[in-house]
This record gives sequence, C-alpha cells and structure tokens, in this order.
Amino acid sequence: MSKIKYFVQQSWLLIVASFCFGLLIAVTNAALSPTIKQNEINKRNRLVKALLPEAKDFILYEEQIEIQPFRGKTENVEIYRAVSEANECIGWSFEAVGSGFADKIKLVIALDKNFEKIAGFDVLSSNETPGFGDQIKYDYFRGQFKGAPAGELKLVTVGEPGEIDSQIVAISGATISSEAVVEIVSNYVTQVKEQMQKKGIIGNDEQ
Amino acid sequence: MTNSNAKTARYAQTLIAGLWRENPVFRLLLGMCPTLAVTAAVKPALTMGCCVIFVLICSNIIVSLMRNLLKPHLRILMFTLTIATFVTIADLFLKAFVPRMSEMLGPYVPLIIVNCIIICRAEACASKNALVVSIIDAIGMGIGFTVTLCVLAAVRELLSTGKIFEVSLMPDAFVPWAAMSMPVGAFITLGLLLGLVNTVTGKKA
Repeated sequence: MSKIKYFVQQSWLLIVASFCFGLLIAVTNAALSPTIKQNEINKRNRLVKALLPEAKDFILYEEQIEIQPFRGKTENVEIYRAVSEANECIGWSFEAVGSGFADKIKLVIALDKNFEKIAGFDVLSSNETPGFGDQIKYDYFRGQFKGAPAGELKLVTVGEPGEIDSQIVAISGATISSEAVVEIVSNYVTQVKEQMQKKGIIGNDEQ
Repeated sequence: MTNSNAKTARYAQTLIAGLWRENPVFRLLLGMCPTLAVTAAVKPALTMGCCVIFVLICSNIIVSLMRNLLKPHLRILMFTLTIATFVTIADLFLKAFVPRMSEMLGPYVPLIIVNCIIICRAEACASKNALVVSIIDAIGMGIGFTVTLCVLAAVRELLSTGKIFEVSLMPDAFVPWAAMSMPVGAFITLGLLLGLVNTVTGKKA
C-alpha cells in the first residue's frame, strides 16, 4: 500500500500534466486537421492541374491498385481520375514514393486517359542536394517526361533533353537523384498500367 | 518606490541579457542544429524564430507555474513533456496555415523539442523564478535567437541567391554562390560571425 502511495506522491504531477497536455493536443489536432488535409489535397490538385491543364476536378477512383514498385514492398496506390468541364475523363494521376539521394522523393504523376503517354510529374516533397539533385524540380528535367511513352524509361547520360522519348537525360552531377526519379516514374507507371489493364479500367494496348 | 524601480531594472536586464550578453547562439552556443539547418533563407529562419518564441514563452509559463511542485529527479521529464506539447501545437498551426513554410522547415520544427535553448531556459530560469521574470526571459531569449538566425540567414541568402525576400540587392554581375545555401555555407557563416562577435566583445577563445 505504501508503495502505491509513494508512486502517486512522486508522479501525480506527471500524470495530471500528461493528461492535460494530451487533451490540449487532441483539441488542436481536431480543430486543425481538416485544414491540413485540405492543404495537401489543394497542393496535389494544383500540381496535377499544371500537368493536365484541361482538368477541372479530380475524383478518387473507388478501386485501389496494389503494386510492388520496389522489391518486396506492396503498396496501395490511390488513383485519381481527372475530369474536364464536360465531365469526360481526360487523364489519371497518382502519388509515387521512392528513395532519393538524401531522403524519400514523393512525386505526383499524371498520365493521359488511355495510359499511353505520361503527362508529366511534379515533386510533392524531396530533400535532394540544392543546386544538383533538386534540379529534378526544374522544367528542363521534368519536361523530358511530358509526352514520354507510358512504359519503361531509361536514363542516359548523353542525349538531347528536348527530344521526347523513353530516354531521359540525367542531370549532370546528380545521377542518383535522376536515377531515382526515372525508376520511380517507370516502376509506378508500368505497374499501375498493368494492374489497371487487368482490372479493365483502361483499354488493353495489345487488343 | 525604490523596490519597484529595482524590479523594473531587473526586468530590463533580463530582457537585454537574451539579446546580447547571453545571446543563445553567439554567446551560449545553444541551439546549433536549427541555427545551421534553417538559415539558408530569411523567411524560414524567421518562421523558426517565431515558433521558438512561442514554445519558449509557453513552456516558461508552465514550468514557472509548477516550479514548486517539481520533483528534482522528474523535472527534465516534465520539461520535455511541456515543450513537446507546445512544439506539436506549433507544428500543427504551421501545417494548417503556412503549409509551404512547414514543408520547407521539414523535420526541424518537431526538432525544437530537443532544442537546448528551451530546456536551458526552463532549467536555468523558469524553474527558479516567478512568472513575470520567466516570461520576460523567454521573450528576450526568443528574440535574441530569432534576430541571430535572421542575421545568419540574410548573409547566406544574399550570397547564395543575390536576393533577400525576393528583392535583388546585388549588382547584375554577381554570380550566386550556391555553396552558401548548403551546410558548408552555414558552418562558414556561423564561424565568421562568431569570430566577429568575439572580436567585438574582446572575448578570448
């Protein structure tokens, strides 16, 4: 009995404070979490809208796609259908994550409605080296993906960045960052495409 | 009358101590992690400074109020708990109202929890002094920290981009030094500024 008394005597302040502080955080979180969620959605929509300019709204597709972008790791991808003002599907977008040079790179990738061509990607979050790796955000690098075929992409060190094909010219001085982006885009696009064809969401190329 | 005068003088001294005599970065060399990490540009440095001021004031208030209830062996635990609460709240506010800045600062906002300036002030000032002194101390230290961060950030931003707050300040011929926005620039700038401050104050290493 005296042991319990001693315990309470010593720690009552800690217990009371933990409870009060926990409550304080819970209230703040409840008040702010809708705004935070909306901010994230706004950002993604803003980026995708730049890639698919005709899109008016983005609707979450009811079916989640399960893929294995990197060895042994299964991931659920939420696919968004971009619709125009006339309510026609004009493209698709989804988020993709992979390891970069310093930290994870989180991208949002957009494709045309038949999954034939990549409409482009943008960086949601990354922590690549300023001046080198962070050039993955620059237009000259991202531009190479715009209109590239939705399939395997290949990183090359020498080439013409203006040419739109499955070859992506690496950023000089940032091979690892370039490689990471190409790998993320390539893996996600091919696997999501494959799964969506299997499920019959989009037409089959071979037919 | 003299009593209240002495009090005012003490408050003023406490406030000024944080700004210069006991400046957390230049004189106490505390909180080096955010000092080096978020000073690539003035805006994130200013945001970081404001967050630290908020957390410092709140934690000093709470610690000062419960200073007579603290058990010596549990005090650090209580400090950390208090600080963590207010940092989490500050982080949520940043995410909700300035999402871009929150992204820029990344993990450094949650890392304020282990910022030694705040623990130091809780231990050295708030747990021993009355409420008013603790609040004034928090304001002084917080502003001292923010101003230092901004000075460091201004130097680095100017040299790495030629601009401060999007305003071009350098001649057209200026070639930006990309290295200044990287960690190496932070170390060099901090070292040079510390040297400068030590020269001005005549302090020997």
